[in-house]
Amino acid sequence: MAALFSGAPPQGGPGYSFKQTPTMAPSGERQHGFYPYTDNGGSTLGISGADFTIMAGDTRSTSGYNINTRYAPKLFKIGGEGPDNKGARIVLSVVGFAADGDALKERLDTIVKMYKYQHGKPMSVSACAQRLSHVLYNKRFFPYYVHAILGGIDEDGKGALYSYDPVGSYEREQCRAAGAAASLIMPFLDNQVNFKNQYEPGSGTGHDLQAKVAQPLPRDTVESIVRDAFTSAVERHIEVGDGLQMMIITPNGVEETFTPLKRD
Amino acid sequence: MNHLPQAWGRPRDDVYGAYDNSHFQTNGPTTHTQSPIVTGTSVVAAKFKDGVVIAADNLASYGSLARFTDVKRLRKFNSLSVVGFGGDVSDMQYLDRLLNSLDIRENYSSTDPENALNAKNLHTYLAKVMYKRRSDFNPLWNHLLIAGLDGEGKPFLASADLLGTTFSSPTLATGFGAHLAQPIMRRVIPDEAAVAGVSKEDAIKLVKESMKVLFYRDARSMDQYSIAVITKEGVELKENEKLENQSWEFAERIRGYGTQVN
Amino acid sequence: MIPPPDGGACVAMVGKDCVAIACDLRLGMQALTVSNNFPKIFSYGDVHLGLTGLATDVSTVSDLFRYKVNMYRLREERNISPQTMANLVSSSLYERRFGPYFVSPVIAGINQTSGKPFICGFDSIGCIDFAKDFIVSGTASDQLFGTCEGLWEPDLVSCACSGDMG
Repeated sequence: MAALFSGAPPQGGPGYSFKQTPTMAPSGERQHGFYPYTDNGGSTLGISGADFTIMAGDTRSTSGYNINTRYAPKLFKIGGEGPDNKGARIVLSVVGFAADGDALKERLDTIVKMYKYQHGKPMSVSACAQRLSHVLYNKRFFPYYVHAILGGIDEDGKGALYSYDPVGSYEREQCRAAGAAASLIMPFLDNQVNFKNQYEPGSGTGHDLQAKVAQPLPRDTVESIVRDAFTSAVERHIEVGDGLQMMIITPNGVEETFTPLKRD
Repeated sequence: MNHLPQAWGRPRDDVYGAYDNSHFQTNGPTTHTQSPIVTGTSVVAAKFKDGVVIAADNLASYGSLARFTDVKRLRKFNSLSVVGFGGDVSDMQYLDRLLNSLDIRENYSSTDPENALNAKNLHTYLAKVMYKRRSDFNPLWNHLLIAGLDGEGKPFLASADLLGTTFSSPTLATGFGAHLAQPIMRRVIPDEAAVAGVSKEDAIKLVKESMKVLFYRDARSMDQYSIAVITKEGVELKENEKLENQSWEFAERIRGYGTQVN
Repeated sequence: MIPPPDGGACVAMVGKDCVAIACDLRLGMQALTVSNNFPKIFSYGDVHLGLTGLATDVSTVSDLFRYKVNMYRLREERNISPQTMANLVSSSLYERRFGPYFVSPVIAGINQTSGKPFICGFDSIGCIDFAKDFIVSGTASDQLFGTCEGLWEPDLVSCACSGDMG
């Protein structure tokens, strides 16, 4: 009985008007003419010290040779209270495709705020770092096209810094540069922060040379290294400039500074 | 005679032949916009000390054909905000309907004008709509400027495009305007601090000057345009402005291209 | 079709009354190291020429300039100056405008007449870049640009110039 009212014509029977089998619309795959990504330029960097982490990024946003705006922050406080993230102890920097960067920031911020709401304690940087990796990997086959750096203070009160690739592989590091001028800034940081290719003066030649040992740098030294890195990047990379935003994370909170860069 | 209810009201096969149902197929492939069809060109906008000026011409082009010459591309959302649309006109009309329904919903849920959606809220909403659609590989082929006042009554101007990219600046222009109008406007309003020194009249003059330059050099533009000024007093929208004081006199003094070289 | 360059880097710098030029010694094919002793700097009297790019062209061009500089010496009975060398390199590369050697040369030297340091760089078809500070070239040029722009200052003395940041 049920078959009688199924709405389908009897198989091979005397059909009603819908006799022809449905003809498919013109087949053949069409090429997608839409590319969902763009590069908004800019550069970011992070350096961790003994009891602080400094995050920095320029504030220029570009599309091709156009400057969209001279002030588009790439540094975001994560967690804390309310839309201004009061009392936050974690900073996220994102560089690459700005729309994905904003979406990622909003996801992570919500996660960290929900964590505090559910557990009654702020999320640790190591936990937040691992969660960020998962958030990125969740979009493994349509990635957030960004290079993220996460900074904060770890559970021992030491500066913590994590860097990511667009699909979530991550690592804790002393320093990292990302974005358009990463290739210009990173070797400078290797030399000035980790003392790569620096030797103790007068320790000899060849195999006698004593490598200069890296040690955590004081805050004002790190700040001036960051400034030098960016003023240099501005000279040689057209997508970097306009302004330098810095966030210094200490156990007492996040200090934010802004310094103008060349606007050419 | 076919007694099956499914056949009722349909042309008879024995008289008219098999019914061609292909035209109301619904299970074909879903189609997405791969390129814009009817398009609007630049939108330009500038902040001033107590509001924002925004303008866009009234032309909708079909490729290089000036197809519709009376299409209004500025849309007042409420007394606090105006949206300017560049790019595909059908997607603009979709967004227009979307904003209408949003407005109706808002008016039902809250009658308190204090809590009306401001330009900042509207920008956040539209940016998320745009980002969602690009993430679905079904973009709305537009570049929007959202002008008005934010939650604190301060001038607000920001953009959102088909990729969901957003940014804000004291002056903004889409399309050709990003190349031609932005340098002119940035000369007068170089940064956020300069906004405080710009009067309503200065800003209107600046935006009108930009529209003139765009009409001179953008082949997909026209001389009739809409201009809106958003201040605490509300939205002052004029939809049939005509470009004034056009003159190619300056071209006489231009050297280095064209027929003369020196 | 441009062949992929064999990896290599070269940098030249001006200091106080001195110049420095340095290169790596690696010869590779992409990730595979073929040799660890392949110098890319060649000296012609007072002038030093760094060549990065396609290794076969590095050898060819260095030999070509050895020949040209020797011929210059025989005719002129004097050493070639860095400035003259720069123009020789430029015109020689431009001769091959539509079938270039895939090299990015760097020159460093001290002009023996004026006593002034001189450096310059070229693209593969001979456009000269007269720089007052430093010239970088090769597959690590971005990295070298970053470090040089960050660390270079006028009147560096020779021990600092050679990378021993004591």
